Amino acid sequence: MSRDTGPTSLERFINGILPENPTYRQILGICPSLAVSNTMEGAVTMAGAVAFVLLGSNLLISLIRHLLKPHLRILVFTLTIAAFVTIADRFLAAYMYDMSKQLGPYVPLIIVNCIIIARCEICAAKQGVGPALADAVGQSLGFALGLASIATVREILGFGTWFGKWLGWRVIPDLSAQPQVWSNWVIMILPPGAFITLGLLMGVMNGIEHARAARLKRTGGKQ
Amino acid sequence: MNYVVSLVTMAVTTALINNMVFHFFVGNCPFIGVSRRLDTAFGMGAAVTFVTTIAALLSWLLTYFVMAPGAPLATGLWRLLTRDPAAAADLSILSYIVYIFVIAWAVQLVEMYIRKFFPPLYKAFGVYLPLITTNCVILFVCLEIMKHIGTGATDPWDLGKALTYAFFAGFGFLIAIVIMAGIREELDHCDVPKPLQGPGITLIIAGILSLAFMGLTGVDGNLAKLLSAKSSHPAAPASAPAAERSK
Amino acid sequence: MKNSYIGQAWLVIVLSLAFGAALAAVQATLDPRIAQNKLRDALDQVPRLVPGATGGRAETIGELTVYRATDEQDRPVGWVIPARGQGFADVIELLVGVDESVQQVTGLYILKQLETPGLGDNITAEKWRNQFRGRKTGEDLLVTKAAPTRDREIQGVTGATISSVSVVGIVNSAVTKLRAALADRAGGPS
Repeated sequence: MSRDTGPTSLERFINGILPENPTYRQILGICPSLAVSNTMEGAVTMAGAVAFVLLGSNLLISLIRHLLKPHLRILVFTLTIAAFVTIADRFLAAYMYDMSKQLGPYVPLIIVNCIIIARCEICAAKQGVGPALADAVGQSLGFALGLASIATVREILGFGTWFGKWLGWRVIPDLSAQPQVWSNWVIMILPPGAFITLGLLMGVMNGIEHARAARLKRTGGKQ
Repeated sequence: MNYVVSLVTMAVTTALINNMVFHFFVGNCPFIGVSRRLDTAFGMGAAVTFVTTIAALLSWLLTYFVMAPGAPLATGLWRLLTRDPAAAADLSILSYIVYIFVIAWAVQLVEMYIRKFFPPLYKAFGVYLPLITTNCVILFVCLEIMKHIGTGATDPWDLGKALTYAFFAGFGFLIAIVIMAGIREELDHCDVPKPLQGPGITLIIAGILSLAFMGLTGVDGNLAKLLSAKSSHPAAPASAPAAERSK
Repeated sequence: MKNSYIGQAWLVIVLSLAFGAALAAVQATLDPRIAQNKLRDALDQVPRLVPGATGGRAETIGELTVYRATDEQDRPVGWVIPARGQGFADVIELLVGVDESVQQVTGLYILKQLETPGLGDNITAEKWRNQFRGRKTGEDLLVTKAAPTRDREIQGVTGATISSVSVVGIVNSAVTKLRAALADRAGGPS
């Protein structure tokens, strides 16, 4: 059963970035958001892997959407996603071995990343290739934004660098010789820092959203 | 005796020190979503533990006999087909697909069981029960077990170790979600700032809990030493490993 | 009803076969590269761990897998022993470089560790690892908190005694294992 109506490609694309942001609005894909966000390189690589899987599965599911039977569709989604993740995992191990070691088991965990199954179910199974691809790109960008926001906070406070491994940029100068001036917030690199950072950032995002909604109500009107 | 010591150490390590939620970040979606009430949280934890153990059993069997590099059944069959006695078979590329299907099947099994024997719990779970398939804990456990089987593995796990790991990983998840549910029930009476209500404050509390659990680092290594010392020299006084820690 | 199940399952079957073929192709093309990556991880370190070495090759002595360090003319100049053991938080994997006669430690490199950042993970710092260079292997190495006074003492990382003790223990046992394996093998240097 498929309707080819629904949000247009452009709407899908824009919705994915902020209004339906996977991390902050849908609260999906939290596991990798916390696990690999202690460096920007890890965040970007993970976002790239998720983008690859999302694009591939949305494309494929959209192409075969008329053949899907209702009670077998989750099976088909899962099979497709698992296959694409295997390819992405092997590709990383072959061409970006250091990154693959750093990301570890979190690349195969993309299979159970709720974002991808949700997009297959909500968009790819119901709409054509155009909207499905736009949706995939939008959601990937949104996910990358979410990851990058957390990773920026954690890497700068925890290591003092930003893209330290790839570009070597230091945001906070190397003050390891004068720890009384500034020493790295090691907690940011560890699990507690991840949880607290995401919690506070979610608070910030919700606060902005509430302020915007209140302002809309006051002015009584359009965006 | 050494085997039992290693199992006990692994149990403590997996449940408390390398806790699935607080150390490895897996299982966060239900952890944030289902932890509002204590009874549903406990039910979810128990269901996840059950599913993880069953899925781990099947995964271990399939990996050991069919999918690992050098697995007996696959290698035997491949050698028969290619008539080359030295051929090697490596089906590990199919691991992820096989694991996720095993997990989906295990969840179906547990769903039928709960629907038959605990109907009110089944109703309370609603859509969250089939969503256990997407619970990262189970796939993470299967992947960890995969790392420890086959010719490339540095520290091979037999079935006992794998099942212990799986059960106590689920148990650690249960502990985490139950603690969080208890705290959140108290939070209902507190004045949480509006932007932080819901997932925000849950994550911050999870961070504090994670910090608390970090204090248990190193217990496993010393526990192993303590148990081995006791089992091999029952008369020797137990060492005081805590004094060694100069952190 | 049964008919419709099989009728509906054809899509799953076709997809499974298609993905199976795709994954087999991926495995065939990428696996050699991945294996090479894993090997290069250790071999890259050999020149830094054994002076005069430009490369190495893997060798199995009895049950021990080590790397033979060789110079440009492919003459053996030393050994690099991969070893692992329990650290403070989790397993530590490292590479120990020793000279040809296994009399002296020539270098140490930490491959993988999960020690506490800022404290235990200072075992990866070059300054700390350089302490191991030139140590004789006649006696086991020891960790001290103060500055070392004897040749077999290594100063531990401040605030990370257990991590330091673990590393030294792994190094000692790796050297002992290599010596024993070489002595067992007929015709090897000892």
